[in-house]
Amino acid sequence: MSALKRHQDLTAIWGNEPGWRGYLRSVNHSDIGKRFIVAAFVFFAIGGVLAMLIRAQLATPRSAFVGPEVYNQLFTMHGSIMMFLFAIPMFEGLTMYLLPKMLGSRDLAFPRLSSLGWWCYLFGGTIIVLAMLAGVAPDAGWFLYPPLSGKTYTPGINSDVWLLGITFVEISAMCAAIEITVSILKLRAAGMRFDRMPIFAWYLLGTAGMMVFGFPPLILGSILLEVERAFGWPFYSPELGGSPLLWQHLFWLFGHPEVYIIFLPAAGAVSTILPVMARTRLLGYGAIVAAVMALAFLSFGLWVHHMFTTGIPHMALGFFSAASALVAIPTAVQIFAWLGTLWQGRPEMKLPMLYLVGFFIVFVLGGLTGVMLAMVPFDAQAHDTAFVTAHLHYVLVGGFVFPMLAAAYYWLPHITGRERVMRVGEAAFWLIFIGFNLTFFMMHLTGLLGMPRRIDTYPEGMGWTWLNLLSSVGGFLQAFGFALFLIDVVLQIWLGRVHRRNPWGATTLEWAMPIPSTTYNFASLPTVTTRDPLADDPDLGVALARGEGLLAEARHGWRETLAVDMTSGTPEHVAILPGNSWLPIATAAMLGGFFLMMLAGLYALAPVFLVGTVWLGWRWAWTNGTRGDVGMVPIGGGQSLPTSFEAPRTTGWWGSVFALAASATLFASLLFGYAFLWTIAPNWPPPALIPPSLVVPLLAIAGAAAAGIAVRAGRMPIVLGGHLAIVAALILLLTTTPGPSTHAYAATSAALAAYGLFHAGLAAIMTGFVMARAKAGFHSAARATEPRILRLWSDHGAGAGAFIALLLVLPGWFA
Amino acid sequence: MIMLLRLTAGLIGWAAAFCLIYALHGLGCAGGWNMVPFAGLSVHRWTLLAAWTGSLLATLVVALILNRRRTTPLDRAAAALGWVGVAATLITFAPIAIVPACA
Repeated sequence: MSALKRHQDLTAIWGNEPGWRGYLRSVNHSDIGKRFIVAAFVFFAIGGVLAMLIRAQLATPRSAFVGPEVYNQLFTMHGSIMMFLFAIPMFEGLTMYLLPKMLGSRDLAFPRLSSLGWWCYLFGGTIIVLAMLAGVAPDAGWFLYPPLSGKTYTPGINSDVWLLGITFVEISAMCAAIEITVSILKLRAAGMRFDRMPIFAWYLLGTAGMMVFGFPPLILGSILLEVERAFGWPFYSPELGGSPLLWQHLFWLFGHPEVYIIFLPAAGAVSTILPVMARTRLLGYGAIVAAVMALAFLSFGLWVHHMFTTGIPHMALGFFSAASALVAIPTAVQIFAWLGTLWQGRPEMKLPMLYLVGFFIVFVLGGLTGVMLAMVPFDAQAHDTAFVTAHLHYVLVGGFVFPMLAAAYYWLPHITGRERVMRVGEAAFWLIFIGFNLTFFMMHLTGLLGMPRRIDTYPEGMGWTWLNLLSSVGGFLQAFGFALFLIDVVLQIWLGRVHRRNPWGATTLEWAMPIPSTTYNFASLPTVTTRDPLADDPDLGVALARGEGLLAEARHGWRETLAVDMTSGTPEHVAILPGNSWLPIATAAMLGGFFLMMLAGLYALAPVFLVGTVWLGWRWAWTNGTRGDVGMVPIGGGQSLPTSFEAPRTTGWWGSVFALAASATLFASLLFGYAFLWTIAPNWPPPALIPPSLVVPLLAIAGAAAAGIAVRAGRMPIVLGGHLAIVAALILLLTTTPGPSTHAYAATSAALAAYGLFHAGLAAIMTGFVMARAKAGFHSAARATEPRILRLWSDHGAGAGAFIALLLVLPGWFA
Repeated sequence: MIMLLRLTAGLIGWAAAFCLIYALHGLGCAGGWNMVPFAGLSVHRWTLLAAWTGSLLATLVVALILNRRRTTPLDRAAAALGWVGVAATLITFAPIAIVPACA
């Protein structure tokens, strides 16, 4: 078969339909990745305009540019947009575009999930921005602390916009986390052992793992705060046994890992680009992998350093202060590895390298002020001053924006297939670099001079005036720089000359393809024997285009890519990926309906959209699989493998494992909240406990045992009965629970019961699905993936349901 | 998956120690264990010291096991991360020995 014919056949399978239909139905990772990048940049521009308005307000004392109400919305929206609508989606977009190409795969593990994430992000972000235009934007700070964000002090829908909009957007982050983790673990090139993975993949594995465990506390905290605002369940109200500190714990349990979730992908880009710019190999691959893993864990032990001044006992402060200082070490390991790489190479000061130099300077300064703030006595002095604002911008802009700009210039030729037309990028760099330092270096000084954060104006004579003016001038210089960057990109797309393949002489697989890339990435899939495949075989891309790799045959209209053993990279099965679909956008629209009903206070209508979401989920899962055994299929090179229809451990199974890990983290966070309120919050013990009962725990435990045994024996009606028994037990429990709005005890108990009900109910629905699928002929001895996945969800639902039923009646027994 | 577990075992040990010790600290302060004297210190302090020592020993055992195999770069990374787990457990909870528990 000629390369052209192969290209045509593969494009027919992997391409989009023409027009809007193709746009709305596309699930291709390159499309979704580019959309994320463009949308994130648009949100960045919106957040940037807000920053300019903030700097205009603070440029002079007693400014009357905007009033305090508008100013509160400006800084809240600036922070929220930059964190949730720019930084994370930008890295998600870059990852979605690049990761399969770097791993030697044709797509991500769950293409429809990527698409669902995209639409949730777009709809959620749009709701938030439209709220701002309507003048009802969130205004309680990007961390939305209660009681300020509660119903008493924010009676309008401002806080609801944040809670519902950001939670909607977080669906996309959770989709991406699971997608990235499973793709890295399973969808790699043949022979790509763990120690042959590109370093970028290690960073992303660490990041995605952190997202799986880091986002659920925020999602839980947001749900609880919204429920408090909507229905009066007093999780955060101390007069009824709640505590605003619970919100701070849940928020920062997410919020500090979030800093590393943002930094690590950017550091991955640095570790990828720097050796290419230095014309050498990365120094200390193993040490960097260890540093990434250390950061991924240690960063979960720091969250209380955002709460040093809340009155927490000194010993606990000591734990978090020590961990906060400790985390600088793995960061320094990377810095030294990068410096060593530069030292051993012959660096070229090309544009990406210029931005990397900017990254080094700015990020190291931000890291050092971070160590200062990790020390409790210093933090007590600098807390809530402009010094902290300066520090966080040095870390986040230094640690994310500068590397992303380097990444933009490094990978833009891959996306556009063109080269830059003028040296606009250099001018943009200097404007951004000088403007940034002018803005934020001055803020260190204003902070040390005592200027608080988030104040809308200040009097003359404080010594802050000229520093603020310089900060504002710097801010506008930066804005000009980013405008120039945008112009440079547009010029490249419109006027740039067509670029040759692999313009940088890089060694990773994303350059082993024509640029711009095709929809299927590789006409045939590579087999790798080293960490730098293109260094060993610079013509690999041409050989793959000729069909000399694996899965070179386009057949049955299947979207095929290779799934491998995690550790060894040995080919395991052929993953058949789903094609373009209406389901992602329809599901996102249905979820959007739910969030909008909640926002409008139409609580009775909201469940209708949840039922619609379940129905779409059923349809979604129904389109998987096949009604007949396929057997082994040839993959080239004389090898044959089973397809994902008949493989024992498919990507779907692994996706369920990580989805359940995220859910278990949310459950653990809820248990933490229950224990925290019980031990720390005022106004406990509660006025009334759940009465002691034997029926509730016995019914739940019997149901769980029945479901656990029957799911292993394949007796699905008994599994269904077991879960329905758990549902009945928890409903019975709820009928005896004191009113959830009377005390935080009752509210957390009801929340725990709701978690158990959700999972037992979900397991019951999934059992019904598996029964229907078996009846329709989708299962056989070989095609048993769905019952295996059900076992995971059934065990979790049964275990959680029985545990919750027992836990909630225990206090009544011992009272 | 085994390789990933080896890579993260030391740090999982530290994370487990963190959950245990932070929970014991909070429960002890809430329950007034710091007011109950025992063998020259408070029950709370002894409990935390025991948990810290136990965690150190557990992470040390993990590190020694990981240290046995150092053939590939990832084996060496796993071994190093085992020692990171020990060091992090030692440093993070050092305040148990020197700082008032509930003040």
